[in-house]
Amino acid sequence: MAMLEVKDIHTYYGNIHALKGISLTVEENEIVTLIGGNGAGKTTTLRTISGLIHPRSGEVFFEGEKITETPAHELVYKGITMVPEGRGIFARLTVFENLDMGAYSQPDRSNFNDDLERVFQLFPRLKERRSQVAGTLSGGEQQMLATARALMARPRLMLMDEPSMGLAPILVESVFETIVEINKSGTTILLVEQNAMVALSVADRGYVLQTGEIVLRDTAENLRQNEMVQKAYLGIE
Amino acid sequence: MRDQLKASARSGLIFGVVIIFLMLFGLTKTLSDILGELFNLQSITRTGNSGGLMLLFALLAWWAGSRAAKEDKENWKAVLRNGAVSGLVIGSITALFTFLVGSLDGADIEMRTYLAQLDRPSVQFLLYGRSIIAGALMTFFIFLIFNLVGALASYILETRHAGGYLQKKYLQIKDRISGTSIVVRYKEHPQSKWIGYGILLAGTLLMPQFLGKYWNYAMGTVGIYVIMGLGLNIVVGLAGLLDLGYVAFFAIGAYTVGLLTAPAPIPIQWSFWPVLVISILLAAFAGILLGIPVLRMRGDYLAIVTLGFGEIIRVLIRSDMMSPYLGGPQGVRDIGGPSLFGISLSNERAYLYLIILGILLAILLTNFLQKSRVGRAWMAMREDETVAQAMGINTLYYKLMAFATGAAFAGFGGVLFAARNQYTGPADHTLMVSINVLSLLIVGGMGSIPGVMIGAFVLKGLPEVLRELDIYRLLVFGALLVIMMIIRPEGIWPAPRRRMELHESGLEEIPPDESLIGEEG
Ligand SMILES: Nc1ncnc2c1ncn2[C@@H]1O[C@H](COP(=O)(O)OP(=O)(O)O)[C@@H](O)[C@H]1O
Ligand SMILES: [Mg+2]
Repeated sequence: MAMLEVKDIHTYYGNIHALKGISLTVEENEIVTLIGGNGAGKTTTLRTISGLIHPRSGEVFFEGEKITETPAHELVYKGITMVPEGRGIFARLTVFENLDMGAYSQPDRSNFNDDLERVFQLFPRLKERRSQVAGTLSGGEQQMLATARALMARPRLMLMDEPSMGLAPILVESVFETIVEINKSGTTILLVEQNAMVALSVADRGYVLQTGEIVLRDTAENLRQNEMVQKAYLGIE
Repeated sequence: MRDQLKASARSGLIFGVVIIFLMLFGLTKTLSDILGELFNLQSITRTGNSGGLMLLFALLAWWAGSRAAKEDKENWKAVLRNGAVSGLVIGSITALFTFLVGSLDGADIEMRTYLAQLDRPSVQFLLYGRSIIAGALMTFFIFLIFNLVGALASYILETRHAGGYLQKKYLQIKDRISGTSIVVRYKEHPQSKWIGYGILLAGTLLMPQFLGKYWNYAMGTVGIYVIMGLGLNIVVGLAGLLDLGYVAFFAIGAYTVGLLTAPAPIPIQWSFWPVLVISILLAAFAGILLGIPVLRMRGDYLAIVTLGFGEIIRVLIRSDMMSPYLGGPQGVRDIGGPSLFGISLSNERAYLYLIILGILLAILLTNFLQKSRVGRAWMAMREDETVAQAMGINTLYYKLMAFATGAAFAGFGGVLFAARNQYTGPADHTLMVSINVLSLLIVGGMGSIPGVMIGAFVLKGLPEVLRELDIYRLLVFGALLVIMMIIRPEGIWPAPRRRMELHESGLEEIPPDESLIGEEG
């Protein structure tokens, strides 16, 4: 049984038919990427999975349980956390307070210090800046913070929306190295990206999204070799 | 370009509908009178100040125009175009409305039966005392022209920073003050704040003994506003929900104590204390009832709907239809007051003590909520609602909680206000109450308890001190508010950089006194 199973979802914004029957699966311990251009519906897919909007038809299952209509705030207790598009850090709070918010869903505060230690190990930069106001961090540090905050909720499945957005190439590389590391320590990842090159280099499998529809699905390796993907997303003629 | 025009038309539509709404509930009259008085304007009509009405419409149009101009501030042609579209839309619908109302009135249809505000003199007022056509046309052109003016003005002002200079001066002065030895020494010993609190509390508790009847009453009014301010502070300052109909819950408190302790219109005469509890619970319940449908909306819409709710309550308590139960325009008389062990507490001094006790309770409750999980949820919600949900925060639940707590405080304020006057009536529950409470938050500092107290004193206490100035006080307040927004957008005593005390480890490294100015200015 797949960890996450999305079955033929149709999501609308008013009259705009944003997702026209998306189906995908994510197996435990995988990194799966969903690539596509601007406006393809990547964010909408994540928003639908995480319950921020509900699809008009179709179903979403997490670990066999139907979560199509589950409100967003309950999902984190089931083990799904999102790193939102544009990072969505709490700009006026400190790094520490952001991380503490991330642990909001954890009733057992005794884990807090261990979890904090773990994310600080992953992102030593955040430890240095723990009492700095998050809004003053650089773009790369903010992405680290958003990721670290999501980890504080101890997710089994982490949804990431364009972590590479607005980052210099060298930072992108280090962000993705961390993503692999997080995955190795047991967190399954569904990664949405416009930057197909990096996304496909870390993922196990991938889906290609175009105007609300999945047009290709394959292993990351095969997608990288695919002519259409190379032309449209990898800039290879 | 089409998108811009659409956006301007939409903004115009919203403005237009809100303005019609204001007219329907007679708010235009109140506002026009204030403006007319402030600027000494001539009026042809007697119901309301028609000069004030023109000024009001011009100001609203100005505002709408400057909003429409925001669509594209770089290009003056676009600015004019967007202003014109917004003006045309607002102008047409408001003019159409006045035309319709005028015609219906001309056809001798009594609209008053349905809408208490639309009697003949009021319709005359909305037409500036002129003919239907002339009045409607005038409305149309005022909106069109001043939309253009507003749009152009915001285009011209765009590059300048009127506030920059004032703010620089202010920061200089602030630096000089915080450099003085007493302030430095105070900061070195943060524990000394408890001594400060102690002295403040002792002073507050002793104060009523030294004040006469008049000042005890005046300070009581300030205190009631502190309680309401603390309530609205939770709603607006902590949970980030703009509630413009706060007076509704004040009214519910006042009328509940009125109806349940006064001999008429309902012959129930219970004693004060149980009724106090009932009133507060009822106000909180009303908050939840209103909150459930309304709190799913965001920002602007929430403000409009709550504003409407406040007005509906006021119209209801005024209406003839409800007068057998609510007392109608005459209100409720002979409201009972509290007594303890057979001793009546119905005097200014005892009320002031009761109010001070209420303030203390309100402060303790606010503090408790703020430092608990609830406070963290509010803070996350205020920062980013979507992310807060992703962290596992049930935003609707916490919004309801803030709304209900705020309503309970307002209800408490209403009870004290009505019982102390032994009377309550529709005139006690106008929009001005909501505006006053909101203003005191803005003046004092959103999100901060000392800020609420200072704000209440500035807005409700100072006028008593400066009573002779009377008419000018509105003007003074207006000026004060404007200056405030420019030099200290976060209020006189802002919350200490919107943070909360989670873990001592996290706190230690936070600079103790960092104001928001750097961020917002
Ligand atoms: N809040 C919204 N209201 C209306 N349409 C939206 C909204 N958000 C996204 N859309 C539309 O839905 C489509 C998919 O958007 P999105 O999921 O954000 O794409 P991506 O994340 O792939 O860039 C786009 O056509 C976009 O214009
Ligand atoms: Mg997106």
